[in-house]
Amino acid sequence: MSNNYVSRKFKNRFFFTLCLLCVIIAVIPLLSILYEVISKGAPFLSLQFLTNDALHGGIGPSIQGTLILIGLTSLIGVPVGILSGVYLAEYGNNKYASFVRTINDVLTEFPSIVVGITAYSVIVIGIIGSFSPIAGAVALSIMLIPIVARTTEESLKLVPNSVREASLALGIHKWKTTLRIVVPAAKSGVVTGALLAIARIAGETAPILLTMLGSNYFFQGFRSSMDALPLRIFRDARWDDPRVQAEAWGVALILILMVLSLNIGVRLAARGRFKR
Amino acid sequence: MKAMHRLIDTGLEQLTSLVYKMGEEAQRALELAIDSYVNSKDSTESVREISDILGAMSLEVENKAFELIAKYQPVASDLRIIKSYMKIAYDFDRYGRYALDTSYIGDRLGGLKECDAWMRDFVTEMSEKVLSMVKTSLESLRSFDAMLARAITQTENEVDKMYFNYLDKLIQEAPATGKCTISSVLVIRYLERIADHATYICESIVYLSTGEKITLR
Amino acid sequence: MRALGMTSKDANNRKGNTKSPSPGVKMQTIDVNAWFGAKQALKNINVSFKKNAVTAIIGPSGCGKSTLIRCLNRMHELVPGSKFSGQVLLDGKNTYAADVDPVMIRRRVGMVFQKPNPFPTMSIYDNVAAGLRLTGASKGKDLDKVVQTSLEQATLWDEVKDDLKKPGTSISGGQQQRLCIARAIALQPEVILMDEPCSALDPIATAKIEGLIVKLKEDYTVVIVTHNMQQAARVSDFTAFMYLGELVEFGDTESVFENPKKELTEKYITGAFG
Repeated sequence: MSNNYVSRKFKNRFFFTLCLLCVIIAVIPLLSILYEVISKGAPFLSLQFLTNDALHGGIGPSIQGTLILIGLTSLIGVPVGILSGVYLAEYGNNKYASFVRTINDVLTEFPSIVVGITAYSVIVIGIIGSFSPIAGAVALSIMLIPIVARTTEESLKLVPNSVREASLALGIHKWKTTLRIVVPAAKSGVVTGALLAIARIAGETAPILLTMLGSNYFFQGFRSSMDALPLRIFRDARWDDPRVQAEAWGVALILILMVLSLNIGVRLAARGRFKR
Repeated sequence: MKAMHRLIDTGLEQLTSLVYKMGEEAQRALELAIDSYVNSKDSTESVREISDILGAMSLEVENKAFELIAKYQPVASDLRIIKSYMKIAYDFDRYGRYALDTSYIGDRLGGLKECDAWMRDFVTEMSEKVLSMVKTSLESLRSFDAMLARAITQTENEVDKMYFNYLDKLIQEAPATGKCTISSVLVIRYLERIADHATYICESIVYLSTGEKITLR
Repeated sequence: MRALGMTSKDANNRKGNTKSPSPGVKMQTIDVNAWFGAKQALKNINVSFKKNAVTAIIGPSGCGKSTLIRCLNRMHELVPGSKFSGQVLLDGKNTYAADVDPVMIRRRVGMVFQKPNPFPTMSIYDNVAAGLRLTGASKGKDLDKVVQTSLEQATLWDEVKDDLKKPGTSISGGQQQRLCIARAIALQPEVILMDEPCSALDPIATAKIEGLIVKLKEDYTVVIVTHNMQQAARVSDFTAFMYLGELVEFGDTESVFENPKKELTEKYITGAFG
């Protein structure tokens, strides 16, 4: 009897330790990346670095470019994504919607470089005729929309059906029920989902490489190339000059700070909501 | 028989056996009392004993019935049974009371032995009819037999007729007032009331099994 | 897919029903059948609900009582794969006629559900006013007054009158249910359907709502589904007993509970099964 207990206890411990080890192994790369970036990038942080253009040793254009990009992408991608999610959740009980949902799920895993070349050939070559922030925003939107649609659909599905029933039973039309009752009830989930998706897309490189190319100058209109933080990192890292290569760490630090603060900020804000 | 044994069934069984026992005791009291009157014997003590028991049992039935109502909120046949049992227990209690009254009278004024033959025959016949009604009331209760219960109407009418006939005959014969006259008048009055209660019991049985509220008189 | 109901003429010829409702009948079902996919949930239900009376529908789980009341306010058809045939008459007119807008029916036939479901993002005030605001019926109305009257009728006013801006979900379960009743009443429906309104509540809250139901029948026709037979006996004037999708017995509550006509009814209400 006690032999059994001892052996069971040992097995428990062993399994627990094994899992713990795996967790640590998984976390180590993240920690080492953070360490590298912070230690190698911190020396570059200064006001000039953040605001000057490339010719004067700054990454102002890259930061501006990323911000413009995020703005445009959100403008295009978030409404479309949310409305798609609403459709799938509220009206999506048929075969057509299942099909859309499947395509949607496939798109979330799509190789970003393929999205990039497609956007390049269709928009850069075919429509606008030159590299453009719009092409970049469209490419990123193509990646953003499926994610937002899925998170929106899931948030809406969390709203209990009893709420919809109550509204419909009052004789409120379905579209009004969806818009004025269900979506507001899922508001925090929808917003959180959209913000986290944006944070994720902000760091994508391949699509914007092929659609915006990158630049050393600040924003120069919708028909010319534009810079962004990932593009700057890409360029600097491949430069022959080791000093320029080292600078890439500073850019990486900025990018990581941006993404992490958005991520952590959203999660903290969402936690506050759940507590209430 | 209900398929499932419910919580209330135990209580109902207890209540039922209580009521049956009451009926048996009441019947015993009546037979004893009437027999002693007809044959001028004294049975007051024994009858009183039974009557006291009946009083206590009647209270028990009432309490049990209320306990079942409070606990189980019975409906339909359960409710009708409980309601009827309460009434029937009261009727049995009345049986006991009239048995006691008959014994008293027999004891105080002497029985039928020394009375005129026609009085003796009359009262004997009437008492036999009434005792058969008591028997019917008990049997139909035991088997919840509404048809048997309904059949009591005929005997009830006969007893009623006999009651008034006797009174008429008494006035006609105008015997000297004496123990026999008074005691026999009182006793047939009791007999008539016993018959009424037997009829009430049968009405309750019809209600209990069919839900119909009727009068059998 | 909704099957069109038979015309009233067919119903007349088949059953000898009068076309105009009998005096005092507010709603009536004629040969109602309902399915969830291939499974038939209601079989030929013919029942009428008297005006300003409380009718209880009782029966074991799965007998179709919830399905039946959801046919009364055309909520049944919102379930994907559901089917319906027959007629439901409201004041003599078929609510399933082709030219009838189900949304309009639902404004005349209100519903209260088993689990209280106030709108989570709205305050108590907004919950009660929601029906009016979102159906466009709030124009020209003094919302404050309507909200107060509805809450008073639902016997909730005194308990919340100082907290109208608090979220609808911040009050107790029993209060939330009365809030849902107030929300339904605010639209001034003609019929109020209640699907086991007290099952999720404690005995005291239940007693309050039962008292409310008896009061409500002065102004509304009430149909209540309940699995609690004593509750049906306490609050209703008429009782319908359903079993396996069929209407087994219907009558005034006193008779059904004292002397049911069908043995199945007797078995059910005395607890001999289900």
